[in-house]
Amino acid sequence: MEAKNKEELEQFAVVGKPIPKRDAYYKATGQAFYIQDVTLPGMLYGKILWSQYPHARIVNIDTSKAKRLPGVKAVLTGYDVPEFRFGFLKDNMPLKKNKVVTLRDEVAAVAAIDPDIAEEAISLIKVDYEPLPTVFDPIEAMQEGAPLIHEEKGTNVLPLPWKLKVGDVEEAKKRSAYIVSDRFKTTWVTHCCMGTSGCVAYFDPQGNLVIYANTQIPYLAQRDFQEFLSVLGLGDKRVRVIQPYIGGGFGSKLDTYAYEYIAILLAWVTKRPVKILFTREEEFKYTSPRQPTIIEITQGCDKEGRLTFREVHMILDNGGRTSWGATTPSVMMMPISSLYKVPNVLYTATCVYTNNTYCQAMRGYGNPQATWAIECSMDELAEEAGIDPMEFRLINANQPGEITPQNFKVSSCALRECIEEVGRLLEWKEKKGKQRDKARGVGMASLIHVGGGARVYRSDGCGTIIKIDDFGKVQVFTGATDIGQGADTVIAQVVAEELGVSIDDVTVIWNDTDICPWDVGVHASRTTFIACHSALGAARKIKEKILQLASLILGVSEKELNIKNGLIFSQKDASKNISLTKLLRNIHYRTQGTIMMAEYFYDPDTEMYDKEFKGNFSKAYAYGTHGVEVEVDKETGKVKILKYVAVHDVGKAINPMLIKGQIYGGAVMGMGFALTEEMIFREGELMNPNFRDYKILTAKDVPPIEAVLIEPWEETGPYGAKGIGEPGCVPSAPAIANAIYDAIGVRIKELPITPEKILKALKEKEGS
Amino acid sequence: MRYTINFKLNGEEMSIEVEPSWTLLYLLREVLGLKGTKEGCGMGECGACTVQINGKAVASCIYPVMEVDGKEVWTIEGLAQSSGTLHPLQKAFIERGAIQCGFCTPGMIMSAKALLEENPSPTEEEIKEAIAGNICRCTGYVQIIEAIKHAAEEYYGSKK
Amino acid sequence: MMKLKVKEYFKVKSIEEAINLKIQYGEKAMFIAGGTDVIVGLKNKKWTPEVLISLNDIPGLSYIKEENGTVKIGALTTHREIERSSLIEKKIGALMDAVKNLGSVQIRNVATIGGNLCNAAPSADTAPPLLVHNAFVTLECKGGRRSLPLEEFFLGPGKTAKKEDEVLIEISLPTPPKTAKSAYWKHTRRAALELPIIGVAVYLDVDPREYGRLQQVFDLPDSTWDDQLRALNESEVFCKELRVALGVAAPIPLKVKDLDGIVKDKHLNDQLLSEVTDVALQKAQVRDSWRGAAWYRKEMIKVLTKRLVLICLRRILKEV
Repeated sequence: MEAKNKEELEQFAVVGKPIPKRDAYYKATGQAFYIQDVTLPGMLYGKILWSQYPHARIVNIDTSKAKRLPGVKAVLTGYDVPEFRFGFLKDNMPLKKNKVVTLRDEVAAVAAIDPDIAEEAISLIKVDYEPLPTVFDPIEAMQEGAPLIHEEKGTNVLPLPWKLKVGDVEEAKKRSAYIVSDRFKTTWVTHCCMGTSGCVAYFDPQGNLVIYANTQIPYLAQRDFQEFLSVLGLGDKRVRVIQPYIGGGFGSKLDTYAYEYIAILLAWVTKRPVKILFTREEEFKYTSPRQPTIIEITQGCDKEGRLTFREVHMILDNGGRTSWGATTPSVMMMPISSLYKVPNVLYTATCVYTNNTYCQAMRGYGNPQATWAIECSMDELAEEAGIDPMEFRLINANQPGEITPQNFKVSSCALRECIEEVGRLLEWKEKKGKQRDKARGVGMASLIHVGGGARVYRSDGCGTIIKIDDFGKVQVFTGATDIGQGADTVIAQVVAEELGVSIDDVTVIWNDTDICPWDVGVHASRTTFIACHSALGAARKIKEKILQLASLILGVSEKELNIKNGLIFSQKDASKNISLTKLLRNIHYRTQGTIMMAEYFYDPDTEMYDKEFKGNFSKAYAYGTHGVEVEVDKETGKVKILKYVAVHDVGKAINPMLIKGQIYGGAVMGMGFALTEEMIFREGELMNPNFRDYKILTAKDVPPIEAVLIEPWEETGPYGAKGIGEPGCVPSAPAIANAIYDAIGVRIKELPITPEKILKALKEKEGS
Repeated sequence: MRYTINFKLNGEEMSIEVEPSWTLLYLLREVLGLKGTKEGCGMGECGACTVQINGKAVASCIYPVMEVDGKEVWTIEGLAQSSGTLHPLQKAFIERGAIQCGFCTPGMIMSAKALLEENPSPTEEEIKEAIAGNICRCTGYVQIIEAIKHAAEEYYGSKK
Repeated sequence: MMKLKVKEYFKVKSIEEAINLKIQYGEKAMFIAGGTDVIVGLKNKKWTPEVLISLNDIPGLSYIKEENGTVKIGALTTHREIERSSLIEKKIGALMDAVKNLGSVQIRNVATIGGNLCNAAPSADTAPPLLVHNAFVTLECKGGRRSLPLEEFFLGPGKTAKKEDEVLIEISLPTPPKTAKSAYWKHTRRAALELPIIGVAVYLDVDPREYGRLQQVFDLPDSTWDDQLRALNESEVFCKELRVALGVAAPIPLKVKDLDGIVKDKHLNDQLLSEVTDVALQKAQVRDSWRGAAWYRKEMIKVLTKRLVLICLRRILKEV
């Protein structure tokens, strides 16, 4: 039974406690196996030849030398395999034919008996290209006469006219006392998962595909691969996706990649397992990063500081092919319409093909980019209106029970408390605007994110099967995936709590589509909420069964029975009890015995967006505020973060230690997004595909961070919990930018906020 | 051409034929099957492959195997005792939330071990310096630093 | 995982052996010490030697000592060993600053100072500190030894005056007078794993007639660079020697020449420092690159040189 409120929660055995991550033991002893560690008998190594030009016709591919190299078992090009299109707009294919549109395009692939031979074979493949005119700027690409990336489409503008309209923005403008308008930009940053991408594919003796995949969407990938098999004439075969431990996700594995199909092709052609594993350089160059944005935002408020409207127009560089980047507007709408109370909203986003790399999901899925613009603009508007930025936010803060312009039904919402807590921790009143002489400043920014799943597909469900063996050990088969965030642990916690067993007796198994029931995937910070609900559903069924059977054995009503510490007992008469294991063996080893198993599929009663992009697509919403104190060195432009506070409305923390881990990790990722990280492209080529030149923060760069959990009761959540995976990195950049503005009076509008940009802005300010 | 190198690995004497083209990481993972040490970048820029050589933290992905001759190497597999008792660092990492995806963990623990063996009561700054060459994308380092601090207290405490 | 494309790896026990092998294999061979540059270069195909000649087992090439007014560092001394040296801490502050921030602990544990210099990257962190200390390098070949000033050692990015059949065996520099201190500033975006956007080293020897408020201001926990500069202007400190060297400001680590005439016996103040940085900027060949813009690098040369002078003064005052 779930607690009705916080008080009841205090009495819980494992929920709400900092239980160590269940698989940490394996990871700390080097026993956890990742895709890097998967080796199968007879396995070949695949390697890919990528395009040499960002835009060119493929005139000829000569693979003869490569094929003749001893040890090479297959060489494939797009001309050797049936055509298959994948990706959100089906404009991608495993191996490219006819033309290449980015430097990321896969032109040929090789399978050989060892990686060195495979690499050599790649170097022996000769491709003749006819370079075509290129375009790397989305605005340029929208103009008449720009080179067309996909000629058959007749335009570089994607057929995705994202538009959200609520109320009447034009009318609201007239009623506004203050209006600010500005332009913000974000560029490409990438996930930097410590474990690089890879997969091992093979066909079993009956021709079914088995693929060890580093995926966050095992079942959607399974479906994609199934589709692929049909094209190969293997439509009647099955696909099994097995996930090894994943060396980091952050959204990088939410789409299927060309290299996965290529591995499948090589396995199909060679009839042997084929492993493709990216080097770090390949990881940087050939995986899909965060969607860059060009954002025009206009906001207004009345004399009292209440927001009257928010108008946002975005241009998104879609790169040469389409992955989830083009769908980030569907999530960017969320903060645009529902971060703070804003009655009139207009949002459009245009996605444009260019010869750049193409993007997919990355922690926040567009929310960090949109919030960057919104929260910087909020500070600008506050200044225009002569209102303190913290006060301005409080005036407009969302509240529990609200229905937002996108029809989100906000249940719990502790935004006010988050803002106030940040204000307190930063000593806002004492410091805001008062430390210019020391070039110090404070700033804050808030976030909204989905916290109760997200119906971005038709299903937002997750299935669980639970079985208990004769020894009282519980196995939980969940469709969810642990990508390091702790799904394996929180699921075990809620099941252990529900069934009254020790957490050490609960094992969560999550990594095999043959064994575990369906789940839509690890995205949208949905796993704790949805997977725990699902696990609880199954656990409750089992508990019911157990108590039913126990009531027969003990001769008391089920209603007075409970289970704690593996003992089923009557709450009225403690002498009436039986150990769980005794009961289990009792009901099993007898004529017409039974064993304890149950299944449950949980899919919340939320809505998909309607045609107007409105609909309550999550069961609950997570809020938070980050606050930063910075000191700027005005001669070098370097920013030092003196203090960073991250206050999050998480509903009930099922595991406060793991939640804080998400917040710290998200915040540091957010700091990198704000200050140091950028993929530097020149003519479509990535100049910094390594850890030396791509500036992900090190332990020495991390400032003092305080993570505070605000735990309002979220009645729709499992044990009151809401999601946390992504919120941690959403408001970092604007909080830092706002603090810099407080410190030195300059506002940098393009991320990352580098020392050069600050110094330049300071000099311009001095000059004028 | 193959050479025989003699060295100590996790406390055990080893005599192995190696090729000059191997790095230490290659020997560990591909030849000896010790998959605990990870390759994060192959260029000595991320620390995932960190092992201890004569007590010092070294990036094994750029360490030629031929240099291992006559040296003492410790990898993550050598930390837990045969009885199953975890090293204080492993225990601390597990208990303090210092592990999420776990890919950086073996290298991180080895860097921390090298630190604590040289400096059993490091300041926070010294801890950060010791792991500055170990990149973690998941944790934001906070709980890792806490874990190392805690292990230092326990480790140092047991030394008294 | 891929292997190195190396066919032979010799671990020599003497310099002579090393040289003989190098002569034998010619361009196909490279010397290797710590390997943090050589192996990385191998892996990203910067060079393709088939043979590596490891110098690591040659005895007597790893030391830090002071003899006859000269500080001597063996070429095979690791950066970590230098980091741990109280002699370097006390007397060669700039070098200590450089090694403390070089790469990471893992790199410093194996990478050698000789390797850092022979790799001759314009960004080599140990170079500007050694240049301002008027360091010499000693090279040994079969015929004997020769020493040359470090300034003459660097010829271009990745190119040194070391001949194919020579081994760098020692770096030496005159023991600085007690009144002289040096400092190095590595300007980076992150706090570790970095190559500098720009690196500046300063060596300062002063003749103080009156330190004035300098010590006071240095002792204040939150004194700004401006405060310190003002205190300097008001003091009566005269310059005996001021040397400046730059990293990532030219194709080679660059010692700024022709400063003597400007600084000798002059009152140390803001104005003088501006003249110094003007000369530095003239001599430098700062480039635009995607790693850093030229205007920013030039600006930092100005800012950091001044700050380093103040740091040197702080170190000088500590001794007093």
